[in-house]
Amino acid sequence: MTAIVETLDLTRRYGTNLALDHLNLTIPEGAIFGFIGPNGAGKTTTMRILTTLLPPSAGEARVAGVSVTGDPRAVRRLVGFMPDFFGVYDNMKSWEYLDFFGRAYGVAAPRRQQMIGELLDLVDLGHKRDEPVMSLSRGMKQRLSLARTMMHDPRLLILDEPASGLDPRARIELRELLKELRALGKTIMISSHILTELAEMCTHIAIIERGRLLAAGEVQQILRSIRAHRIVEIRVVAGAARAEELLRSHPEVLELRREGERDGEDASPLDDASGPHLLLVDFAGDERAMGELLAALIASDVRVSHFAEQAGDLEDIFLHVTRGIV
Amino acid sequence: MLELNPILVKDLRSRMRGARAYVLLTIYLLILSGVTLLLYAALAGSIGNDLNAGRQIGRTLFLTIASVALVEVCLITPVLTSGSIAGEKERQTYDLLIASLLTPWQLVWGKLASALAFALLLIAAVAPVMSLAFLFGGVSLAEVVIAMVGLVVTAVLYATIGLFWSALTRSSLGATSFALGSVILILLGIPFLIVIATLILGRDVSSDFLEAPLFIYLSRLFIAAHPFIALGVTATQISSGENIFVEVVEAGASSVVVPSPWLLYSFLSLIFTMVLLFFCVRLLNPTRPVTTEAPARAKQTGAPDGA
Ligand SMILES: Nc1ncnc2c1ncn2[C@@H]1O[C@H](COP(=O)(O)OP(=O)(O)OP(=O)(O)O)[C@@H](O)[C@H]1O
Ligand SMILES: [Mg+2]
Repeated sequence: MTAIVETLDLTRRYGTNLALDHLNLTIPEGAIFGFIGPNGAGKTTTMRILTTLLPPSAGEARVAGVSVTGDPRAVRRLVGFMPDFFGVYDNMKSWEYLDFFGRAYGVAAPRRQQMIGELLDLVDLGHKRDEPVMSLSRGMKQRLSLARTMMHDPRLLILDEPASGLDPRARIELRELLKELRALGKTIMISSHILTELAEMCTHIAIIERGRLLAAGEVQQILRSIRAHRIVEIRVVAGAARAEELLRSHPEVLELRREGERDGEDASPLDDASGPHLLLVDFAGDERAMGELLAALIASDVRVSHFAEQAGDLEDIFLHVTRGIV
Repeated sequence: MLELNPILVKDLRSRMRGARAYVLLTIYLLILSGVTLLLYAALAGSIGNDLNAGRQIGRTLFLTIASVALVEVCLITPVLTSGSIAGEKERQTYDLLIASLLTPWQLVWGKLASALAFALLLIAAVAPVMSLAFLFGGVSLAEVVIAMVGLVVTAVLYATIGLFWSALTRSSLGATSFALGSVILILLGIPFLIVIATLILGRDVSSDFLEAPLFIYLSRLFIAAHPFIALGVTATQISSGENIFVEVVEAGASSVVVPSPWLLYSFLSLIFTMVLLFFCVRLLNPTRPVTTEAPARAKQTGAPDGA
């Protein structure tokens, strides 16, 4: 697969605030690319640079090999952008809305007519053709916006939090719609801070925080790399201090944290009187080694009420990655 | 196939779809014809019935109608455009337009043209009322044409002033306030400066200075920047039998030929219009992200980008 989006040390500053810090992204053609990060991570900033709405402070961004600063018009022809808000006009019917943007992209009249019909059907708004845009529900406006991004038949769709504010049913519909678009050969870049929203439909994900790329690649591959070390939850009823001592010196324990605490810097030993303690262990061993670990704990007279590996779905990857454990 | 400017099509469609356009047109004509009627009633009673009286009525009517129309054009056209680009920002459609294949120039031109189409409608609506004055005599065709040119030129410049503020600010309200503020500044500021200048120059400045061609040109140019003064002076000159296009100013022994104020005004307006349009197009270029961000933030981003 060839890359449709490539960024090289892409950097963007707002004053002294570094919104993007040497971001290196690659999106293969035909992917559904989930772009995930907490609020203020720099998702919108990246997308605005890729849609030529914002100049980078340093570094480069290319869409299908075309530089966004070198030839913005060529990039605009390749990209359909749906921002995280809907821009709608009052006084305008659904078909007129699409017609207007078709004109704005220089789509010829006969082709425009054909596209409007097809796209309204695709997003299931055929029956709303003559309704004013303002009268549509949020989910319908969202779908109309999606149809708008398709008017000039772009190769890459950049969708900024398209699912925000949608009810579960509308989310499922959106997901189906994106799959259809992918089947049409589009590459889709989609941002969100809710991971489960993207979990099933993305082929690739990138995780970004404070302008830095934390992880990127195929969903399966990222899942596998996360699995290499697992998080084990251990609930200790008695002998917590001993347990900590043992775990700290264990070769396969990469990191040990107490529940509800960030860096594990608190040196004072745990007191059993203050109730059961939950320890989180970043464990590099396999399932067998986990068994050995439990046996070792029991052998040194630690009373364990719960010993389990945390269920590792995308949500966890996100949490772990953004906590800096991986 | 050549297509009309998409912005023009959209804006004309929505402008004409709402009731606002018709309400505005009606109010505009009501003011114009109301003033005309009142004036006619006042004049008809006080002036006799001979031929000269008719001419006098005609002339007064013409000047009044032209002035009222000019006031209305000065105040309405900037408002027509000041909401245009800022309105796109408010509706959050601005980014969509910038990210499309529309060029900044197409955007600016579409916005300007859709406002001007309406402004020209307003100006054209003056014609029937003016022809009333024409019936009485006392007004030449040249004067009517100059008045129309003056109105159109004013509409173009003041619409562009509104457009400029619209491209610069984020809210239509802000843009409209700044646009009307600029118009008022021009209309009141220039006479104020003229008064100040006359007071200073009237006292102790040598006549050599006052009669230098450069001073004559510059002072005329400055005076001609004001639509009412420029067109008013032209009307007086024409009625006193001077040439329509040039004015001969006696300066001591020699004389200096200066274009007529209305020509100077049209020339100045055209220049300013082009300069403002140039800035509008620059403001709409996203490589300068001033327009989509809060002014304070924009200032911050400006520095590193400039480097
Ligand atoms: N116009 C702006 N001026 C100044 N700083 C900005 C501007 N836009 C974004 N930022 C800053 O850049 C950083 C990244 O913002 P961005 O909008 O890209 O985040 P995001 O990942 O889209 O967040 P969210 O999930 O909230 O949409 C933030 O720290 C934000 O404060
Ligand atoms: Mg965002």
